[in-house]
Amino acid sequence: MINGLVQGISTACIAIGLIFWLWGTWPLLGSRSVLFKLHSLSVADTLGSMAIVVGLLLKIPREWPLLLLALIALAIWNTILGYVLAYCSQGDQPYD
Amino acid sequence: MNWILTVMIVALLIPIYEAFQDEDIWQKMLAFSSVASKTSIMVLVVSVLRDDWMVGVVGVLILSVGNASLMLLAQIIKRVNES
Amino acid sequence: MIILDLVLRLMIWFLLTSDLSVTNIVIGVAVALILPRNSGRSAPIREWLRTLWKSLLAIPQAYLEAIEIILRPHRYEEITQEHVSSRRTPGLIFLDIFIITFTPKTIVTHYHERGWYDVHWIRRRKPQ
Repeated sequence: MINGLVQGISTACIAIGLIFWLWGTWPLLGSRSVLFKLHSLSVADTLGSMAIVVGLLLKIPREWPLLLLALIALAIWNTILGYVLAYCSQGDQPYD
Repeated sequence: MNWILTVMIVALLIPIYEAFQDEDIWQKMLAFSSVASKTSIMVLVVSVLRDDWMVGVVGVLILSVGNASLMLLAQIIKRVNES
Repeated sequence: MIILDLVLRLMIWFLLTSDLSVTNIVIGVAVALILPRNSGRSAPIREWLRTLWKSLLAIPQAYLEAIEIILRPHRYEEITQEHVSSRRTPGLIFLDIFIITFTPKTIVTHYHERGWYDVHWIRRRKPQ
Protein backbone atom coordinates (compact mmCIF):
# COMPACT_ATOMS: atom_id res chain seq x y z
CA MET A 1 0.00 0.00 0.00
CA ILE A 2 2.62 2.48 1.18
CA ASN A 3 4.96 1.18 -1.49
CA GLY A 4 2.41 1.74 -4.23
CA LEU A 5 1.82 5.27 -2.99
CA VAL A 6 5.54 6.05 -3.04
CA GLN A 7 5.83 4.65 -6.57
CA GLY A 8 2.90 6.80 -7.65
CA ILE A 9 4.42 9.97 -6.19
CA SER A 10 7.74 9.11 -7.79
CA THR A 11 6.19 8.67 -11.23
CA ALA A 12 4.25 11.91 -10.74
CA CYS A 13 7.48 13.78 -9.89
CA ILE A 14 9.18 12.44 -13.01
CA ALA A 15 6.16 13.33 -15.15
CA ILE A 16 6.09 16.89 -13.76
CA GLY A 17 9.82 17.16 -14.45
CA LEU A 18 9.30 16.03 -18.05
CA ILE A 19 6.49 18.55 -18.55
CA PHE A 20 8.77 21.29 -17.21
CA TRP A 21 11.52 20.11 -19.57
CA LEU A 22 9.34 20.22 -22.66
CA TRP A 23 7.66 23.50 -21.73
CA GLY A 24 10.92 25.24 -20.86
CA THR A 25 12.99 23.95 -23.76
CA TRP A 26 10.44 24.72 -26.44
CA PRO A 27 11.00 28.57 -26.36
CA LEU A 28 14.64 27.96 -27.34
CA LEU A 29 13.47 27.66 -30.93
CA GLY A 30 11.84 31.08 -30.94
CA SER A 31 13.52 34.37 -31.63
CA ARG A 32 13.37 35.91 -28.17
CA SER A 33 16.36 37.45 -26.37
CA VAL A 34 18.92 35.28 -24.59
CA LEU A 35 17.70 36.53 -21.21
CA PHE A 36 14.09 35.61 -21.93
CA LYS A 37 15.12 32.10 -22.95
CA LEU A 38 17.20 31.83 -19.78
CA HIS A 39 14.07 32.30 -17.68
CA SER A 40 12.30 29.38 -19.32
CA LEU A 41 15.46 27.27 -19.28
CA SER A 42 15.72 27.77 -15.54
CA VAL A 43 12.23 26.27 -15.27
CA ALA A 44 13.27 23.34 -17.47
CA ASP A 45 16.83 22.55 -16.59
CA THR A 46 16.90 23.44 -12.91
CA LEU A 47 13.40 22.89 -11.56
CA GLY A 48 12.41 20.15 -14.01
CA SER A 49 15.62 18.21 -13.50
CA MET A 50 15.31 18.58 -9.72
CA ALA A 51 11.80 17.11 -9.88
CA ILE A 52 13.13 14.17 -11.93
CA VAL A 53 15.95 13.52 -9.45
CA VAL A 54 13.47 13.63 -6.54
CA GLY A 55 11.40 11.05 -8.44
CA LEU A 56 14.46 8.84 -8.81
CA LEU A 57 15.28 9.35 -5.12
CA LEU A 58 11.86 7.92 -4.19
CA LYS A 59 12.51 4.93 -6.47
CA ILE A 60 15.90 4.05 -4.97
CA PRO A 61 15.97 5.52 -1.43
CA ARG A 62 19.05 3.49 -0.45
CA GLU A 63 21.28 5.71 -2.62
CA TRP A 64 20.08 8.88 -0.91
CA PRO A 65 23.50 10.40 -0.09
CA LEU A 66 24.68 10.58 -3.70
CA LEU A 67 21.30 11.60 -5.06
CA LEU A 68 21.06 14.38 -2.47
CA LEU A 69 24.50 15.55 -3.55
CA ALA A 70 23.33 15.45 -7.17
CA LEU A 71 20.30 17.53 -6.22
CA ILE A 72 22.37 20.21 -4.47
CA ALA A 73 25.00 20.28 -7.22
CA LEU A 74 22.31 20.56 -9.88
CA ALA A 75 20.63 23.51 -8.18
CA ILE A 76 23.82 25.44 -7.54
CA TRP A 77 25.62 24.80 -10.84
CA ASN A 78 22.65 25.42 -13.11
CA THR A 79 21.66 28.60 -11.30
CA ILE A 80 25.17 30.02 -11.30
CA LEU A 81 25.64 29.05 -14.95
CA GLY A 82 22.46 30.99 -15.68
CA TYR A 83 23.89 34.02 -13.92
CA VAL A 84 27.26 33.72 -15.70
CA LEU A 85 25.57 33.39 -19.11
CA ALA A 86 23.32 36.38 -18.37
CA TYR A 87 26.26 38.46 -17.19
CA CYS A 88 28.54 37.53 -20.11
CA SER A 89 25.93 37.89 -22.83
CA GLN A 90 25.11 41.41 -21.63
CA GLY A 91 28.53 42.60 -22.73
CA ASP A 92 29.88 45.95 -21.59
CA GLN A 93 27.82 47.89 -19.14
CA PRO A 94 27.87 51.57 -20.07
CA TYR A 95 27.35 52.67 -16.47
CA ASP A 96 28.90 51.57 -13.16
CA MET B 1 9.38 2.99 -18.00
CA ASN B 2 10.87 3.46 -21.45
CA TRP B 3 8.40 6.27 -22.14
CA ILE B 4 10.47 8.47 -19.82
CA LEU B 5 13.54 8.04 -22.02
CA THR B 6 11.56 8.62 -25.21
CA VAL B 7 10.20 11.93 -23.92
CA MET B 8 13.69 12.89 -22.75
CA ILE B 9 15.20 12.24 -26.17
CA VAL B 10 12.51 14.40 -27.77
CA ALA B 11 13.32 17.18 -25.29
CA LEU B 12 17.03 16.74 -26.02
CA LEU B 13 16.51 17.14 -29.78
CA ILE B 14 15.19 20.70 -29.33
CA PRO B 15 18.43 22.29 -28.02
CA ILE B 16 20.52 20.24 -30.46
CA TYR B 17 18.50 21.60 -33.38
CA GLU B 18 18.72 25.12 -31.95
CA ALA B 19 22.51 24.87 -31.60
CA PHE B 20 22.65 23.73 -35.20
CA GLN B 21 20.48 26.47 -36.72
CA ASP B 22 21.20 29.63 -34.70
CA GLU B 23 24.22 31.70 -35.68
CA ASP B 24 24.37 33.86 -32.56
CA ILE B 25 27.04 32.57 -30.20
CA TRP B 26 25.07 33.20 -26.99
CA GLN B 27 22.03 31.35 -28.28
CA LYS B 28 24.37 28.47 -29.11
CA MET B 29 25.87 28.55 -25.59
CA LEU B 30 22.37 28.49 -24.12
CA ALA B 31 21.50 25.44 -26.21
CA PHE B 32 24.71 23.66 -25.21
CA SER B 33 24.16 24.31 -21.51
CA SER B 34 20.71 22.81 -21.90
CA VAL B 35 22.14 19.75 -23.67
CA ALA B 36 24.73 19.33 -20.89
CA SER B 37 22.28 19.27 -18.03
CA LYS B 38 19.73 17.17 -19.88
CA THR B 39 22.23 14.45 -20.77
CA SER B 40 23.53 14.19 -17.22
CA ILE B 41 20.00 13.72 -15.90
CA MET B 42 19.48 11.08 -18.61
CA VAL B 43 22.53 9.21 -17.30
CA LEU B 44 20.89 9.03 -13.87
CA VAL B 45 17.57 7.85 -15.31
CA VAL B 46 19.27 5.18 -17.42
CA SER B 47 21.14 3.94 -14.37
CA VAL B 48 17.88 3.52 -12.46
CA LEU B 49 16.14 1.82 -15.40
CA ARG B 50 18.98 -0.67 -15.82
CA ASP B 51 19.35 -1.02 -12.06
CA ASP B 52 23.09 -0.43 -12.37
CA TRP B 53 24.21 2.09 -9.80
CA MET B 54 27.76 2.19 -11.21
CA VAL B 55 26.35 4.23 -14.10
CA GLY B 56 24.54 6.38 -11.55
CA VAL B 57 27.78 7.23 -9.76
CA VAL B 58 29.17 8.51 -13.04
CA GLY B 59 26.06 10.67 -13.48
CA VAL B 60 26.42 12.13 -10.00
CA LEU B 61 30.09 12.89 -10.65
CA ILE B 62 29.23 14.66 -13.92
CA LEU B 63 26.57 16.69 -12.12
CA SER B 64 28.88 17.72 -9.30
CA VAL B 65 31.73 18.74 -11.59
CA GLY B 66 28.95 20.53 -13.36
CA ASN B 67 29.07 23.03 -16.12
CA ALA B 68 32.37 24.57 -15.05
CA SER B 69 33.74 24.29 -18.57
CA LEU B 70 30.77 26.18 -20.02
CA MET B 71 31.27 28.97 -17.48
CA LEU B 72 34.93 29.32 -18.43
CA LEU B 73 34.01 29.27 -22.12
CA ALA B 74 31.44 32.02 -21.55
CA GLN B 75 34.07 34.19 -19.85
CA ILE B 76 36.54 33.60 -22.69
CA ILE B 77 33.96 34.44 -25.38
CA LYS B 78 33.15 37.65 -23.50
CA ARG B 79 36.82 38.66 -23.43
CA VAL B 80 37.28 37.81 -27.11
CA ASN B 81 34.24 39.84 -28.05
CA GLU B 82 35.49 42.82 -26.09
CA SER B 83 38.95 42.96 -27.60
CA MET C 1 32.57 30.98 11.24
CA ILE C 2 35.28 28.36 10.90
CA ILE C 3 32.77 25.82 12.18
CA LEU C 4 30.23 26.58 9.44
CA ASP C 5 32.97 26.23 6.85
CA LEU C 6 34.01 22.85 8.26
CA VAL C 7 30.42 21.62 8.44
CA LEU C 8 29.91 22.47 4.77
CA ARG C 9 33.05 20.60 3.69
CA LEU C 10 32.30 17.59 5.86
CA MET C 11 28.74 17.45 4.57
CA ILE C 12 29.94 17.27 0.97
CA TRP C 13 32.51 14.62 1.93
CA PHE C 14 30.01 12.37 3.71
CA LEU C 15 27.41 12.71 0.99
CA LEU C 16 30.05 11.81 -1.58
CA THR C 17 31.46 8.78 0.23
CA SER C 18 28.31 7.77 2.22
CA ASP C 19 30.50 5.88 4.68
CA LEU C 20 30.54 6.61 8.42
CA SER C 21 33.46 4.38 9.46
CA VAL C 22 36.12 5.82 11.78
CA THR C 23 38.80 5.89 9.07
CA ASN C 24 36.55 7.82 6.75
CA ILE C 25 35.62 10.37 9.42
CA VAL C 26 39.30 10.91 10.23
CA ILE C 27 40.19 11.40 6.57
CA GLY C 28 37.27 13.80 6.07
CA VAL C 29 38.10 15.95 9.09
CA ALA C 30 41.80 16.02 8.18
CA VAL C 31 41.14 17.08 4.59
CA ALA C 32 38.60 19.69 5.72
CA LEU C 33 41.19 21.19 8.06
CA ILE C 34 44.03 21.09 5.55
CA LEU C 35 42.18 22.74 2.65
CA PRO C 36 42.97 26.44 2.46
CA ARG C 37 40.45 28.82 3.94
CA ASN C 38 39.93 32.30 2.58
CA SER C 39 41.02 34.80 5.15
CA GLY C 40 38.73 37.70 4.34
CA ARG C 41 36.41 39.20 6.89
CA SER C 42 33.54 36.94 7.77
CA ALA C 43 29.88 37.69 8.35
CA PRO C 44 28.18 36.96 11.69
CA ILE C 45 26.78 33.47 11.91
CA ARG C 46 23.21 34.72 12.41
CA GLU C 47 23.37 36.46 9.04
CA TRP C 48 24.54 33.20 7.45
CA LEU C 49 21.78 31.13 9.00
CA ARG C 50 19.18 33.68 7.92
CA THR C 51 20.43 33.65 4.32
CA LEU C 52 20.62 29.84 4.24
CA TRP C 53 17.05 29.67 5.54
CA LYS C 54 15.98 32.11 2.82
CA SER C 55 17.59 29.92 0.16
CA LEU C 56 15.63 26.91 1.47
CA LEU C 57 12.42 28.93 1.25
CA ALA C 58 13.35 29.85 -2.32
CA ILE C 59 12.76 26.23 -3.47
CA PRO C 60 8.95 26.07 -2.98
CA GLN C 61 8.70 29.66 -4.18
CA ALA C 62 10.56 28.75 -7.36
CA TYR C 63 8.10 25.92 -8.08
CA LEU C 64 5.15 28.23 -7.47
CA GLU C 65 6.57 30.80 -9.87
CA ALA C 66 7.26 28.08 -12.44
CA ILE C 67 3.65 26.90 -12.34
CA GLU C 68 2.49 30.50 -12.54
CA ILE C 69 4.48 31.29 -15.66
CA ILE C 70 3.41 28.01 -17.27
CA LEU C 71 -0.28 28.76 -16.72
CA ARG C 72 -0.13 32.46 -17.55
CA PRO C 73 2.42 33.41 -20.18
CA HIS C 74 4.73 36.26 -19.18
CA ARG C 75 5.73 37.98 -22.41
CA TYR C 76 7.32 41.23 -21.34
CA GLU C 77 10.81 41.86 -20.05
CA GLU C 78 12.06 44.51 -17.67
CA ILE C 79 15.32 45.36 -15.90
CA THR C 80 15.18 46.77 -12.39
CA GLN C 81 17.81 47.59 -9.85
CA GLU C 82 17.62 46.01 -6.44
CA HIS C 83 19.44 47.51 -3.53
CA VAL C 84 21.26 45.41 -0.95
CA SER C 85 23.39 46.35 1.97
CA SER C 86 26.87 47.01 0.64
CA ARG C 87 28.61 45.40 3.60
CA ARG C 88 27.90 41.82 2.50
CA THR C 89 30.77 39.35 2.38
CA PRO C 90 31.48 37.46 -0.88
CA GLY C 91 29.88 34.27 0.46
CA LEU C 92 26.65 36.09 1.27
CA ILE C 93 26.66 37.87 -2.09
CA PHE C 94 26.96 34.46 -3.74
CA LEU C 95 23.92 33.21 -1.83
CA ASP C 96 21.96 36.38 -2.63
CA ILE C 97 22.63 35.97 -6.35
CA PHE C 98 21.72 32.30 -6.04
CA ILE C 99 18.37 33.07 -4.39
CA ILE C 100 17.40 35.68 -6.97
CA THR C 101 18.50 33.69 -10.01
CA PHE C 102 17.04 30.41 -8.75
CA THR C 103 13.46 31.69 -8.94
CA PRO C 104 12.42 31.54 -12.60
CA LYS C 105 10.96 35.03 -12.90
CA THR C 106 14.15 36.84 -11.94
CA ILE C 107 17.77 36.67 -13.07
CA VAL C 108 20.66 38.77 -11.81
CA THR C 109 22.58 40.14 -14.77
CA HIS C 110 25.11 42.32 -13.05
CA TYR C 111 26.42 42.98 -9.57
CA HIS C 112 27.74 46.44 -8.78
CA GLU C 113 30.36 46.87 -6.10
CA ARG C 114 28.45 49.68 -4.42
CA GLY C 115 25.70 47.34 -3.39
CA TRP C 116 23.02 46.83 -6.00
CA TYR C 117 22.08 44.22 -8.54
CA ASP C 118 20.62 44.57 -12.01
CA VAL C 119 17.70 42.15 -12.00
CA HIS C 120 16.02 41.00 -15.19
CA TRP C 121 12.30 40.24 -14.78
CA ILE C 122 9.63 38.74 -16.97
CA ARG C 123 6.23 40.33 -16.54
CA ARG C 124 2.69 39.52 -17.55
CA ARG C 125 1.76 43.07 -18.47
CA LYS C 126 3.74 45.56 -20.41
CA PRO C 127 5.83 47.57 -17.94
CA GLN C 128 5.29 51.33 -18.00
